[in-house]
Amino acid sequence: MLGFASVLLGKTLRSSTLKLAFIYVIVFSSAIFAVLGYVYWATVDFVSKNFDRSISVEWALLIKAYGSVGQTGLTTLINRRVADPFFDEWAYLLTDPSFNPVAGNLKSWPTTLHGDQGWGKFSPLDWQSNSTKQPSFRASYQILADGDHLLVGRRLDGLDRFGQKITIGLAWAAGLFLVLAAAAGISTSRRSVARIEAINATSREIIETGLRERIPLRGTGDEWDGLAENLNSMLDRIEELVESNRQVSNNVAHDLRTPLTRMRGRLERAYSREFDISQYHALIGETLIELDEILRTFSSLLRITQIEMRHRTAGFRNLDLTEIAREVLELFEPAAEENGVTLELSAGDRVDVVGDRDLLFDAISNLVDNAIKHGGRNGRVVVAVSQDSDGAVLCVADRGPGIPIDERKHVLGRFYRLERSRNSPGNGLGLSLVAAVANLHGAHIDMKDNSPGLRIELEFPIAERAASGIPVQEARANAGTPNQAPP
Amino acid sequence: MAGDARHVLVIEDDAETAEQLLDCLRASGYEVDLAVDGEEGLRRGLAGDYVVMTVDRMVPCIDGVEVIRRLRENGVATPALILSALGEVDDRVRGLRAGGDDYLVKPFASQEMVARVDALARRSGTVIRETMLRVGDLEIDLLARIACRSGQKINLLPREFKLLTYLARNAGQVVSRGMLLQEIWDLHFDPTTNIIDVYVGRIRRKIDSGQAYPLIHTIRGVGFCLRAPG
Repeated sequence: MLGFASVLLGKTLRSSTLKLAFIYVIVFSSAIFAVLGYVYWATVDFVSKNFDRSISVEWALLIKAYGSVGQTGLTTLINRRVADPFFDEWAYLLTDPSFNPVAGNLKSWPTTLHGDQGWGKFSPLDWQSNSTKQPSFRASYQILADGDHLLVGRRLDGLDRFGQKITIGLAWAAGLFLVLAAAAGISTSRRSVARIEAINATSREIIETGLRERIPLRGTGDEWDGLAENLNSMLDRIEELVESNRQVSNNVAHDLRTPLTRMRGRLERAYSREFDISQYHALIGETLIELDEILRTFSSLLRITQIEMRHRTAGFRNLDLTEIAREVLELFEPAAEENGVTLELSAGDRVDVVGDRDLLFDAISNLVDNAIKHGGRNGRVVVAVSQDSDGAVLCVADRGPGIPIDERKHVLGRFYRLERSRNSPGNGLGLSLVAAVANLHGAHIDMKDNSPGLRIELEFPIAERAASGIPVQEARANAGTPNQAPP
Repeated sequence: MAGDARHVLVIEDDAETAEQLLDCLRASGYEVDLAVDGEEGLRRGLAGDYVVMTVDRMVPCIDGVEVIRRLRENGVATPALILSALGEVDDRVRGLRAGGDDYLVKPFASQEMVARVDALARRSGTVIRETMLRVGDLEIDLLARIACRSGQKINLLPREFKLLTYLARNAGQVVSRGMLLQEIWDLHFDPTTNIIDVYVGRIRRKIDSGQAYPLIHTIRGVGFCLRAPG
């Protein structure tokens, strides 16, 4: 556990989220410091201006008294102020023109205040105070009309203390902010690192043991869970494909080995025995037919794989599904007749789909072929093309034995054959091709009970105009020209 | 620009395949030149006067499709049959776009290959716009769109008429199922079922039943041939 924790810590420190968090901390703390600095400056400025204003107000009051009642009146007022405990933070001094004190609570004119008038700071040595700390004052002084000097000062300690408090408060705030930001940064990146590590662990597990593992979800529904879910469904899909590939390989092995073994046996017999020429002929003829069968299976398989790998809509154009169905039916009419099956088309006007004519023709051919073969002797096969609000629907229905519900999802797989049709001709690839073509066209395959019989529906999405924009008329015109390269 | 009517250029790098192609084409009465890579193919194609060429899709030096493209650029219109082991769907389109005239996926039956070369050779010859085709006692009036056997009119659906006309134009020559699907239905894939046989079977019943001799013959493993006896 400790080992895991230290690994996690190491990863946290190296993680890119942490670096990002640090950058954020730096940017934000710069901003915060700037704001706090401004607050400090503004506050101190405001307070000291107020301080000076209070001195000025007091000054004005005294001057007014001086103007109305002269020096004696002013002296009385100053003495009253000095005696008033409410004004114990104030310093007053009235001197005669040669700086000899007349009234006030200062024994002498402070040496730091020069000139006739102005503002200044001073620290009297003889201030009556219960604190050991030497007080300092800010004062306004001026020469009066008759040459007297007047000084009004106020103790600065309060203002200093206020400034200190503000400084300490702001420092604490800044410190707390830094700590919180760093903690948040580390916790966020550790969380991300933990989730990434979970994904990594699963990936390693998959590399080592196979596709069974899945990334655990936390159920928080956040983007990490979203990522995990997507990765998991990607893994599901890959597993599905790998599984179907495995299935196909097995089936290929089975379906190809049997005829290959037969052919090998036949060739071996021909090689080791003396045959007359007609026997050789017959043998080679049979072998060729069987070989062709294998090659056909092989190219069907390749074709399906190719269709599955093709880019959707590459080379697609606007087509009339009704027209294609009609052509397929016309092609199969003789075959239906031969099997005693009635082939019917139930379609109205043009139904637009965007797609590949070859592939759609092939897919519909396979469905009709199946329906005729498995639809039962003297059966009835109906091909219906319709258009509803969700798009075009092509439906092939027969009245044969149908497909049991639990086998329906398997029949689209390669080489899958129902038990009862094991011995009838066919390679078990027809419906795989239909599925691949449907998938390429974004169509959905639905198998229903026709009671009796099977009803396969291809539900196409709403037809958008083909991206290549080849007009339908032109596409039709091309259709009849021999050896025409498909545009 | 019809060349020597029986001269074919084969561009193929695999020795055994080349030998088989040469054998089959010579057996069918063609004179054949072989080019073993794309460069030689391009040189011979530019210099010689061939009626048809078969081009392997993947040959050394210059890609087969590229050879055709360059020949077309230089005004050589010799019909080309592309032979390829590559997949059919997209590759066929690419090959045909580059100027190929027909496409055959390996492995193929040699008769099918010869049938397609024959078809291309006829195409590159002078086109005669006949209005009447005759094979034995079968007469096809292309203007009136009527087919008669021994003077008896035969009822044919439009597509059946088209198919019969195609067979008649290629009378005496083998026409494969793939070629029929391509010519009559404009579909470019090999049928996996016997549906073409069944379809031709119905035409055969209409043409041949009750007649002195059959005209439509099935060539095992390849396709069909319309020919009169003798």
